[in-house]
Amino acid sequence: MKNQILILLILFFVLILLPTFTPSAYLYLIGLSLIFAVIVVSWDLMVGYTGQVNLGHTAFVGIGAYVSAILQLPLRIGFFWEIHPMIAILFSGLFSALVGLGIGIVTLRLKGYYFSLVTAILPLVFMQKVFIWREVFGGEEGFSIPAEKIVFATTIEKYYFATFFMFISMLIMLYIVRSKIGLRFKAIRDSEELSESLGINTTLYKILAFFMSSFFAGIAGAVFVNYRLTVSPDLYDIPLMLLVILSAVIGGLGSLIGPLLMGIVVYLAKNWWLTALRWGMINEELVLYVILIAVAIIMPRGVYNEILERSRR
Amino acid sequence: MMDAIEIFVFGTAMGGIFALLASGFSLIFGVSRVLNFAHGVCFAISAYIAIFLVKEMAIDVYSASLVGIIFSILTGIIVYFLTKPIRNNIVMVIIVTLAFALLIEQILLLSFGNRGLTLKPFVEGIQVIYDNLRIARIRILAIFIAILVLILLEIFINRSLIGKRIKAVSQDSEASMLIGIDVEKVLIVTIGISSALAGIAGILYAQIFNIYPAIILRVLIYAFAVVILGGLGSFQGSILASFIIGYIFVTTMKTLGAQWSEFVMLLAIVGILIVKPTGFFGVKE
Repeated sequence: MKNQILILLILFFVLILLPTFTPSAYLYLIGLSLIFAVIVVSWDLMVGYTGQVNLGHTAFVGIGAYVSAILQLPLRIGFFWEIHPMIAILFSGLFSALVGLGIGIVTLRLKGYYFSLVTAILPLVFMQKVFIWREVFGGEEGFSIPAEKIVFATTIEKYYFATFFMFISMLIMLYIVRSKIGLRFKAIRDSEELSESLGINTTLYKILAFFMSSFFAGIAGAVFVNYRLTVSPDLYDIPLMLLVILSAVIGGLGSLIGPLLMGIVVYLAKNWWLTALRWGMINEELVLYVILIAVAIIMPRGVYNEILERSRR
Repeated sequence: MMDAIEIFVFGTAMGGIFALLASGFSLIFGVSRVLNFAHGVCFAISAYIAIFLVKEMAIDVYSASLVGIIFSILTGIIVYFLTKPIRNNIVMVIIVTLAFALLIEQILLLSFGNRGLTLKPFVEGIQVIYDNLRIARIRILAIFIAILVLILLEIFINRSLIGKRIKAVSQDSEASMLIGIDVEKVLIVTIGISSALAGIAGILYAQIFNIYPAIILRVLIYAFAVVILGGLGSFQGSILASFIIGYIFVTTMKTLGAQWSEFVMLLAIVGILIVKPTGFFGVKE
């Protein structure tokens, strides 16, 4: 699939050139949408390639976000030495991945629906810690990182940071799915029994996929925090999870580039275009959920795959 | 000692409520292999409708609850029709039911606000059992109602023709079709019954605790804990597991505080999955 790299490169150059003719208020939103798109793609890495439906991806986004925020403001837990934001971001990805590893070892050795059921409750469980240790995690409001503790201050710097982050993460993930490991993931998705009988350790590779997927989710969460400078429980929340699933599924599971593009579109639609639809009691979330139900019923295989199919006919 | 009795009574009441909720979830899963994330909607909608009727229309609490449960059944039927064209696609079913749950949550949030509401209980007052052991009467009544409904459900599934068909379809859907069972009809009846059970659970819950829009998803934690502990698709297993989860829930609430209950549920689930992954009476997938 040389196409995927090509599309990614074109997107990257468009994004690089974008600031020359786009006002910075829009750039800010576009940068956020790129980080969101990485979350979507990392979900696809697990779900689209190994076929295990992870319903708690935002738990890892939230863990990454809070770990990075705490590491950059260690006084909140009583430590004095600070960590450079870049190291904090990498470390929070690792931390998320380790949590994923633990959950994966327990649930992924079982076949069937256990993995989905357990991951489904993770965001709600981890969100509770915010309310239990209110003075550390800041409750519903979350807390913000003071401007002098961050690397990128201006919108344009942040925008380029998000763009490069997206580009590098995409390259790594594309490399993973095209390697031998990615091939084994796909084998597990297509037939678990067959891959087991061919000598693939299916449990190991499912856990590996979950580990990597959680790693990128954690890093994206940490970048999110460094981008908008506040951390709050909405990064855990179920509506965000639904938005991730929606973008990946409409974009076409198991293609990485489809979910990336759709992630950008969906995020901008929700936070920019659909806000124009506010009218009386109706807000953009109601509209989004109704569209979502309609699309899922009309095009059950995803817009990307459906269009591909129809154009072939 | 007093604490132990109180935890026992309260835990049994909560266990009964969880049993009503989880057995419906489990029944739907057994018959159609649908993970119904909108099950919490049936739980919340009955309570909200009843609260609205009692407060705004001054209707007595019994008829209001009945109307509420009818709304739960209607919700279940809507979920049936929404998931019908995509039933064999697990990801799509999850998206649609989850989106539907969030849609209803938003509507409830916009019309009733975020604060907790309670429904006027069927019986008011506090029963003094012994000196300083006092238990709200509604908690005792809730135990009886829940157990009565569960017994009726058990009789219905094992004795009536449609109940036996539900059992047959959950054991083997294709074979049931071959011997002439109308699987779609069985499914619609199952969803109706399950939604009514969730509706009853919601009514009882709202009389004991506060009900708020976010409970639509929150309550699924307990349902999942019950199904995993009892084994997916097993009716007896989920009843037994519900009471265990009920006692764990109440004990956590009394000792650590209510905000810990989600953590303890996760620990319980992980513990069960490590020790006995298929639950007490789990069926093989």
